[in-house]
Amino acid sequence: MSTDVSDPAVENSPRIVVVGAGPAGMAAAISLAERGLSVTIVDQAPRPGGQIYRFPAVPSTKPQEPDRGAKLRHHLAEHAGRIAHLPEHHVVGIYPERRLGVCGPDGFRILESDHLVLAPGAYEYVPPFPGWTLPGVMTPGAAQQLVKSQGVSPGRRVLLAGTGPFLLVVALALHEMGVTVVGIADTLRRRDAFWKLPSLLADGKLLKQGLDYVGGVRKAGIPLLTGHIVTRAEGHGRLEQVVVAPCDADWVPDHGRSRPIVADTLCIGYGFVPRLGLAQLAGCELTPTNLPGGWIPVTDAWGQTSVPGVWTAGDGAGVAGSIVAELAGQLVGLGVASSCGAIAGTEAETSAHPIRERLHQLSRFRKGLDALGSPRPGLSQLADESTVVCRCEEIQRSEVDAAIASGSTTLRSLKVSTRLGMGPCQGRMCQPACARRLVDLGCNTVQEVGPPAFRTPLVPVTLGELSGSTESNNSSTPEPAGAS
Amino acid sequence: MSTSVLRSETVQFEFEGRQFLARPGQSVAAALWSAREAVLRTTAQEGAPRGFFCGMGVCFDCLVTIDGRPNRQGCLVPVTDGMVITRQHGTGNPAREDEP
Repeated sequence: MSTDVSDPAVENSPRIVVVGAGPAGMAAAISLAERGLSVTIVDQAPRPGGQIYRFPAVPSTKPQEPDRGAKLRHHLAEHAGRIAHLPEHHVVGIYPERRLGVCGPDGFRILESDHLVLAPGAYEYVPPFPGWTLPGVMTPGAAQQLVKSQGVSPGRRVLLAGTGPFLLVVALALHEMGVTVVGIADTLRRRDAFWKLPSLLADGKLLKQGLDYVGGVRKAGIPLLTGHIVTRAEGHGRLEQVVVAPCDADWVPDHGRSRPIVADTLCIGYGFVPRLGLAQLAGCELTPTNLPGGWIPVTDAWGQTSVPGVWTAGDGAGVAGSIVAELAGQLVGLGVASSCGAIAGTEAETSAHPIRERLHQLSRFRKGLDALGSPRPGLSQLADESTVVCRCEEIQRSEVDAAIASGSTTLRSLKVSTRLGMGPCQGRMCQPACARRLVDLGCNTVQEVGPPAFRTPLVPVTLGELSGSTESNNSSTPEPAGAS
Repeated sequence: MSTSVLRSETVQFEFEGRQFLARPGQSVAAALWSAREAVLRTTAQEGAPRGFFCGMGVCFDCLVTIDGRPNRQGCLVPVTDGMVITRQHGTGNPAREDEP
């Protein structure tokens, strides 16, 4: 950090870069702009919104209700003088001193920052099961995107499966657009939900919203199969039918009572995995959790990570949903503004107080949801010997089990012995489930299995893109040899 | 879902030698899904079919060859008029395609 940050007359305004334009990133950028600071926001999508508030790629024929995403976009636009938005930019790497390598339509460039806010979000958790690589099997988020953003029906007969309220949200979105939803198979059993009522009552508004979704699904006539799990997907070249079975409290299916459901699309997800790549490349300390993905960055009460000047908010800092993400983004904004001397520490504390109170209330509700939706051991046992567990490298369950039997009980050693996670997705799809299986099998603890190891480039880039390097956002980047 | 799309609101693209229409702004993966083309690539080892899965650029299952360039993420690339898309087999690299 430069000196004299508390001096209001300081000439050099701090360079602040926010990665991710979902609710957390947008809220952080707005909060900073409101306090007179300039921000650069880097995002993969053409328009801000993130996955949850994704801007329609195709204009909708139905009038859209203004949601929280539209409000955030509006505020972002209001502060356009202070917020530079870099759309369609992927972060390729993070280098020492918070230097960010990004790749956009104009090629590769380096962004330097005094404060780096990571708001990368999360992606859906889908552990392997027989048939899960068949075309026609997709995540609920992918189906939601097809119908809401792309104006495309995900299928003629769609089955939703997995766990959590998101399944209900997507089922209703599909139903509203005239898609035939043949059912929702949720591992949650009704009696399990009852025991979590006290924590769910912590937020009456959210509980009511959840019950409204259930009511909406009932009204739509969509069969809700509680306490059921998908055991396999079948079809020749693409999905034709899905086999579901009742499951116990540990999500172990009763195969004897399984039955097929004809469907051309299966939307399946068991919660969300925080995107850890950026925090890991930045060198942030991670801590193990019992939730999908297994690890989250360690932060202080403002969202600052163990690396000074690197902050994080939203689902990438621990999955808690869009409302929490927005509040956490505001909190990071206050923390960064206070750290830069744009506001006094006391002012930051006063402004943070109501945000923290609301976050505390929401965290009780979240604990109830997490306890209900946290993956149970039965989920790790669905894949059979020949099921591909690493989608990129086509590594089968039997190969991984053989490696485990010969002593590879960490993600790192499994990667070396089987190539698990060596493909273009860098283990994002296979490693969380594999880590979980190692823990469920009793081979190792979450700590010892270790977090996934991301490497530069975070997304594949061509040499052409790298060599087409454009100018950086400031003059302190080294000039090409002979330029000066 | 709207099936009667006006000609002026469409872009035309080619997939596996056949012509399809899409709406401007749609991703390659969504346009192909709409055209009932579920198989976007086949894998290097098993030759197994793969399609649209995560829809957000994480899984790399929707890789296709676009205008001769392999390994493009269909869910992230918007479809444009005159685009030529082919199903990707294996690595999509012709030099390595014959490798076992």
